[in-house]
Amino acid sequence: MRPVRVRRSQGGVFVQPLPDTICAIATPPGRGGIGVVRLSGPEAGRYASRVAGRLPEPRRAVFRQFTDAGGQSLDQGLLLWLPGPGSFTGEDVVEFHGHGGPVVLDRLMRRLTELGARPARPGEFSERAFLNGRLDLAQAEAIADLIAAGSEQGARAAMRSMSGEFSRRVTALLQALTELRVHVEAAIDFPEEEIDFLADGEVAAKLRAVRTELDVVLATARQGQILRDGMTVVIAGPPNAGKSSLLNQLAGSDSAIVTAIAGTTRDVLREQIQIDGMPLHIIDTAGLRDSDDPVEQEGVRRARQAMQSADRILLVVEDAVGVGLVEQASLADLPEDLPVTVVRNKIDLSGRVPGVEEVAGKPEIRLSALTGAGVDLLRQHLKQAIGFSGGEDGFIARRRHLDALRRTAEHLSAAHEQLHAAAAGELMAEELRQAQQHLGAITGAFSSEDLLGEIFSSFCIGK
Amino acid sequence: MDYRESFEVIVVGGGHAGTEAALAAARMGRRTLLLTHNVETIGQMSCNPAIGGIGKGHLVREVDAMGGLMALAADRGGIQFRTLNSRKGPAVRATRAQADRVLYKAAVRQAVENQPNLFVFQQAVDDLLIEQDQVAGVVTQMGLRFRAPSVVLTVGTFLGGRIHIGMDNYQGGRAGDQPSNALARTLRERPFRVGRLKTGTPPRIDGRTIDFSRLQEQPGDSPEPVFSLRGDRGMHPRQVSCWISHTNSRTHDIIRGSLDRSPMYAGEIEGVGPRYCPSVEDKVVRFADKDAHQIFIEPEGLETHEVYPNGISTSLPFDVQIELVRSCVGLEQAHVTRPGYAIEYDYFDPRDLRPSLETRCIRGLFFAGQINGTTGYEEAAAQGLVAGINAARQVRDEEAWTPRRDEAYIGVLIDDLITRGTREPYRMFTSRAEYRLMLREDNADLRLTPVAHELGLLDDDQWQAFERKREAIAREQQRLQDTLLRPSDLDPATAQRVFGGPLKREQHLDQLLRRPQVSYPDLMSVPAAGPGVDDPQVAEQVEIQARYSGYLERQQDEVARGRRLEHLQIPDALDYAEVRGLSNEVRQLLQQHRPATVAQAGRIAGVTPAAVSLLLVHLRRGSEQAATRHSA
Repeated sequence: MRPVRVRRSQGGVFVQPLPDTICAIATPPGRGGIGVVRLSGPEAGRYASRVAGRLPEPRRAVFRQFTDAGGQSLDQGLLLWLPGPGSFTGEDVVEFHGHGGPVVLDRLMRRLTELGARPARPGEFSERAFLNGRLDLAQAEAIADLIAAGSEQGARAAMRSMSGEFSRRVTALLQALTELRVHVEAAIDFPEEEIDFLADGEVAAKLRAVRTELDVVLATARQGQILRDGMTVVIAGPPNAGKSSLLNQLAGSDSAIVTAIAGTTRDVLREQIQIDGMPLHIIDTAGLRDSDDPVEQEGVRRARQAMQSADRILLVVEDAVGVGLVEQASLADLPEDLPVTVVRNKIDLSGRVPGVEEVAGKPEIRLSALTGAGVDLLRQHLKQAIGFSGGEDGFIARRRHLDALRRTAEHLSAAHEQLHAAAAGELMAEELRQAQQHLGAITGAFSSEDLLGEIFSSFCIGK
Repeated sequence: MDYRESFEVIVVGGGHAGTEAALAAARMGRRTLLLTHNVETIGQMSCNPAIGGIGKGHLVREVDAMGGLMALAADRGGIQFRTLNSRKGPAVRATRAQADRVLYKAAVRQAVENQPNLFVFQQAVDDLLIEQDQVAGVVTQMGLRFRAPSVVLTVGTFLGGRIHIGMDNYQGGRAGDQPSNALARTLRERPFRVGRLKTGTPPRIDGRTIDFSRLQEQPGDSPEPVFSLRGDRGMHPRQVSCWISHTNSRTHDIIRGSLDRSPMYAGEIEGVGPRYCPSVEDKVVRFADKDAHQIFIEPEGLETHEVYPNGISTSLPFDVQIELVRSCVGLEQAHVTRPGYAIEYDYFDPRDLRPSLETRCIRGLFFAGQINGTTGYEEAAAQGLVAGINAARQVRDEEAWTPRRDEAYIGVLIDDLITRGTREPYRMFTSRAEYRLMLREDNADLRLTPVAHELGLLDDDQWQAFERKREAIAREQQRLQDTLLRPSDLDPATAQRVFGGPLKREQHLDQLLRRPQVSYPDLMSVPAAGPGVDDPQVAEQVEIQARYSGYLERQQDEVARGRRLEHLQIPDALDYAEVRGLSNEVRQLLQQHRPATVAQAGRIAGVTPAAVSLLLVHLRRGSEQAATRHSA
């Protein structure tokens, strides 16, 4: 008998990849003066020229305006064009060196994803560099560690960035979308089962419900808004607990608060400071008082409105006194589900050390606004509260979520058109499949086997 | 005793997988032996008398496009033809034929007997000849040894079969045949993972005892659809109708009152049944709120009164079967000709197969059909074709061929099986195919006939007919791209009729055809645009490709993005413990599934994108080390 040769190659020959184009913020978040957004992949040059005009000569930095789709300036800075294979990743690469603030960088990221770029997974740039032979063998292990650690960190960051409400909504959306697909796919695969949902309007109603749910999710995805618009914090507490000095400490020396003279204008009820480049809107409830002045009344009305959509309450008390009945009562005016952080100020008087602990489900932070001891803890706490301290991974994880939701919405809208314009079940089904795929970037993959399982448990199918 | 001559390919089993495998190998010029325990059962439809349906019709057309037999046999044996989903889009339309069992079997037998290079021998196979993990042939019941370097096993439900009717059970194969227990024992000695599945059939009924006047008639389509791309209506025998009855609350009461004598509910059956084809007792228990279930009364043939009441498969005791049948409208006087039963059988975990359907542990041994955990004639035929092709190629040391998921339902079928395995009898659905819009019945030949030609599966006639069609499509598409229609070319009435209103500006015909409401015949009725092509298959293709163009391009992009991973093969011997960074959970999954490519790895539930990245890095590192060693 003639021996049969092994036909499978053992090494694995690498075919020239045809990957998509990825983008990421390449500099650590925070106060840095410069922020770099990097783009890599076959479409990098094309996207860049849409944002920053004609590509410059390779490897020559030029000063450009970075603009949004309407031609409005997002930022300005240096543009670098690094065509492959000589670049870091071996692919066409573009770097935007702009201003370091997270809000600016996030806008640029959003612009690039709207053009078609995908927010990179942790370690993906290095992975591409390695796969394209741009890193030597010795670095392979480091890359593997980076991916493994990055994915874990990314998962943690993603969990953090998904506040309870957001996560609950996304799960509800997934369920609604699955149920819709179950109906559409069942109608296609089992036309003899007396279940033609496409015809009887049930699918239209379900699609409407899913789209409404998605709108809610997008509205709940506060993280995105927070990045762009900042976080709103309400400060409450008795008059002499040290709120003003606390604000001054938080703001830091470079942008001190103008001390408000209560009741002069409506604007003094709201202050804006920055923590590591993130805008923080402060509403001081001390300014909320009854007044006959119509201007002031209007100011109070607006402040109350702003409080309804606030992200967090800081209840400032004296450490030696603690939270009393009066302070509890002052919270009664505020929306119930707002998270509360208790700030126990004046530890210089009580003699305790700075620290964070959880008491009755609420975080309590001990600090001294006078000496500044423990103020950093509060700063970290606020950043963490919106998933801002997860570093680059948290930032990108959140951007990926918003990007996924936006793409989901696009496909749902197209599905709506297919249902109404053409009543072509299979094209609507295709849009829904795509929608679920994008949603899967947040919730994890959903396979056709899962879908069939849902169909069989929902309907009595089969001859 | 050794048989005098040796063969290149031996196929064991004469069912739908076996015949396609044997025909494919023989068409490719290999000296092929088809071994069956009973020549009379070659091409037998052992379950319901129908071919095709949603997803299944797609498979049949694909087998047909590659020179296979099933669609042609269905055209010769089909006594009712329908296009399902005809009101939905072309991608999900599918052909279904009721077949006369006798005519269908005769068509298969005739094709097998007239195929050059193909020899048939009747004898049950009890054992395999294996030399150093390479198959060398088979041993029959009487000790006869047949030698060949490639063996395809398509032994279906006969493996360790056990039939249940009520609380009685006995060993048996399908439809009264003997189970292949000797072979099942032989295979169990090898390191294959074995599982147990279950399926069932309904009691058959004598049509003379049915009151058809009280049933709903379900006629075939007119004009009759034709299954094979090489077939025509002239092949079809006389056409008949199917009929529909329903179960009712009394039927359900009867069933509920007898569940204590149901082998399934009493725990006698360990095999897992299909969720999409539940027994009637399952339907009644699981969907208690439904007060009626459909029963499709399907004719078994033109020369028999026996009918197949599709929808009430059951393993309840025979007395209950009679009672439940007679509780249905029109069946009050029904005479049951054969009892329904459930059958349990062994299957071999298809994750132990390569994409070629060759087993991982024995070289040259291929599995196809129900042995791999699938159900259905169509799924069997599709696997048979692929196993036959690869068995034939193996003999000549040629590289294996398997279609990708974006090329064919056959590719979806095989990839699903070898990547994910199955826990219930696997059946094809269109929702399993992510590239559903590309994988249509109407373009099966455009997708697969060129490959089949390269593989040597086609005769000259089929190839030349295909080339003529392909050229005609291309020519017409070019003409539509080049021809401008101006608003002045149209009178208002025509514009209204064809486009629903006046044309605003001049446009090329191919652009106009993309509009959802514009059909090809309507467009060609415009004097400046027509007359177009006569061949309906060509016209259909031109219209569908224009209609779907945007979506098809998008799916092509999706395919292209995934393709690099499809090409990246994972060595059989890869030790996942050496892949740095993998979590234990993912490592176990990969160890268990042993994907053949990186893309398959990514499709395993629970394997994260990060894990795929780690795998890529590991493989790349391996190949660099190899390169370094070579240059050193």
